[in-house]
Amino acid sequence: MTSRERVQMVLKHKEPDHVPLDLGASAVTGMQVDTIYRLRQALRLDERGTPVKVTEPYQMLGEIKPDLMEALGVDVVGLGKPATMFGFKNEGWKPWTTFEGTPVLVPEGFNTEPDANGDILMYPEGDKSVPASGRMPKGGFYFDSIMRQPPIDDDALKVEDNLEEFGPITDEDLDYFRREAERLSTETDKAILANFGGTAFGDIALVPAPWLKHPKGIRDVEEWYISTVTRRDYVYKIFERQCEIGIKNLEKVFAAVGNRVTAVFVSGTDFGQQNGPFISLKSYRDLFKPFHQEVNNWIHKNTQWKCFIHSCGSVRALLPDFIEAGFDIINPVQCSAAGMAPEELKKEYGDGVTFWGGGVDTQRTLPFGTPEEVRQEVCARLKIFARSGGYVFNTTHNVQARIPVENVLAMYETVRECGQYPL
Amino acid sequence: MALFENLQQAIIDGKAPLVKELTQQALSEGTKPADIFPKAIVPAMDEVGRRMRDCEFFIPEVLIAARAARAATDILRPLLVGDEATRPAGTVVCCTIKGDLHDIGKNIVAMMLESAGFRIVDLGADVSPERIVEAVREHHANLVAMSALLTTTMVNMKAVIEALAAAGLREQVKVMVGGAPVTESWARSIGADGYGKDAPAAVDLARNLVAA
Repeated sequence: MTSRERVQMVLKHKEPDHVPLDLGASAVTGMQVDTIYRLRQALRLDERGTPVKVTEPYQMLGEIKPDLMEALGVDVVGLGKPATMFGFKNEGWKPWTTFEGTPVLVPEGFNTEPDANGDILMYPEGDKSVPASGRMPKGGFYFDSIMRQPPIDDDALKVEDNLEEFGPITDEDLDYFRREAERLSTETDKAILANFGGTAFGDIALVPAPWLKHPKGIRDVEEWYISTVTRRDYVYKIFERQCEIGIKNLEKVFAAVGNRVTAVFVSGTDFGQQNGPFISLKSYRDLFKPFHQEVNNWIHKNTQWKCFIHSCGSVRALLPDFIEAGFDIINPVQCSAAGMAPEELKKEYGDGVTFWGGGVDTQRTLPFGTPEEVRQEVCARLKIFARSGGYVFNTTHNVQARIPVENVLAMYETVRECGQYPL
Repeated sequence: MALFENLQQAIIDGKAPLVKELTQQALSEGTKPADIFPKAIVPAMDEVGRRMRDCEFFIPEVLIAARAARAATDILRPLLVGDEATRPAGTVVCCTIKGDLHDIGKNIVAMMLESAGFRIVDLGADVSPERIVEAVREHHANLVAMSALLTTTMVNMKAVIEALAAAGLREQVKVMVGGAPVTESWARSIGADGYGKDAPAAVDLARNLVAA
């Protein structure tokens, strides 16, 4: 059985030979680069000092190379946009060192500048002549967006200002998707999780647009949340236009990649905080659901792709509506948040959706537990979530920095040992 | 009195311009600035906290109401005289912990504490233990409230408590912590005095810690 068949089976809620595993197929199912370096060293895949490529510079996620995939038994590969969160491409690699002292390779556009505190500043498209758009605190592990909110004049706000990043797909990007889908489907036997961009409505990580040199419209995170109530019509119009453009782009993308893609990353908008949703169910239904439905309906009508939604936090109250809106896959399944107990989720929603994540708690067990505690939790989660298929193993969101490598090893060993069907 | 009821409602509804107008009206009618807190702002934000707890208000509504409350406190704070600024609630030094830039949760807690009558010394995000110690000393704070979003930064909270002890200030201040990965048991294990699971809980906790 190939990896692709394994993933396709669980998506049809059938049990294959063992539970499929994702690591690194998306920007929310990956691993921070310092942790990858230590994992590769522990698995003796590299000589000491061999750098790891940073493939997602915002969260500092590292490359999951084919040798690591084989060592761990990874079943999914990612097909993402050619440009990173900071607008430069993953090409022209040069050496860099993280605050942890890890040797890494970064793209040539990864141009940084220290500020007076020793923080590291990052620039859109690597262009230091414009204001910085990202900051990594001194001693830190990730970048965060610098808020570049132009003064807001409500009378002069134009929907186009918040649509700069949602234009028609370029021929260059289309060609890239075509070539990469072809390559990944022939050179690997993995399932492809694609992120073509443009279909996440109001994703708060994307609102500040760290890749744009001069973002316009509403770009401040707090102002955006407020605008979902106070400027509801404005936000709705942005989503309406974005949806129209997004579907036109999907038509072209589908013509280019066809059904080589198994699942498509439709939305990464976070709707949950630790104790409950960010917004009311009514706001989800009024503002987001119609557009989720429109995108997912198009996908289901025209392709064999499965629709993937990522939302951190407590989203129990919204789950029935996510499913009704046509999502087939739920990620990252944050079981440490309120109302997200694995048994209840599987029992209530397991027939309708595939859970992709939730394999171990990345807020507590993985960073602070013992290897034995990791083993117990991973095994228990597999037994609950993977029953009758409908499950792809991944941690709850990316594997973060400063995770003991013994815990990472214990996790993947347990997936291999406890993830064989019958469970 | 209708004016204070209207002011409360304007805060709950998040109507900042109206809040400003009604606050100025209250002052021009001779109300003492310090009295507007217990008569309007504190009860309004208590109601906002209740609605958040009961899932009637979510993050956008709370931010909008907190901004409206700030329209009043911005007018009133400079007018407070003597110990009015710190009476009866106290002074809170608040921040997001060193290495962490995530400040929305901290900002909501700070705005709600301010509306509950606390004087806020907001040090911002990515704040070192040394700066917290300095601020506690300089402002005679009786509470420190700190937040972390990351598992890589929450560990820095312990260093703050140790720095306060080393500076001989630990008896003077209570320390409360919060943020997504933080739990009650974590708070206890690092020697904090309390944990707030959300903004309304943080306000209740601050009141209890100050009263203790």
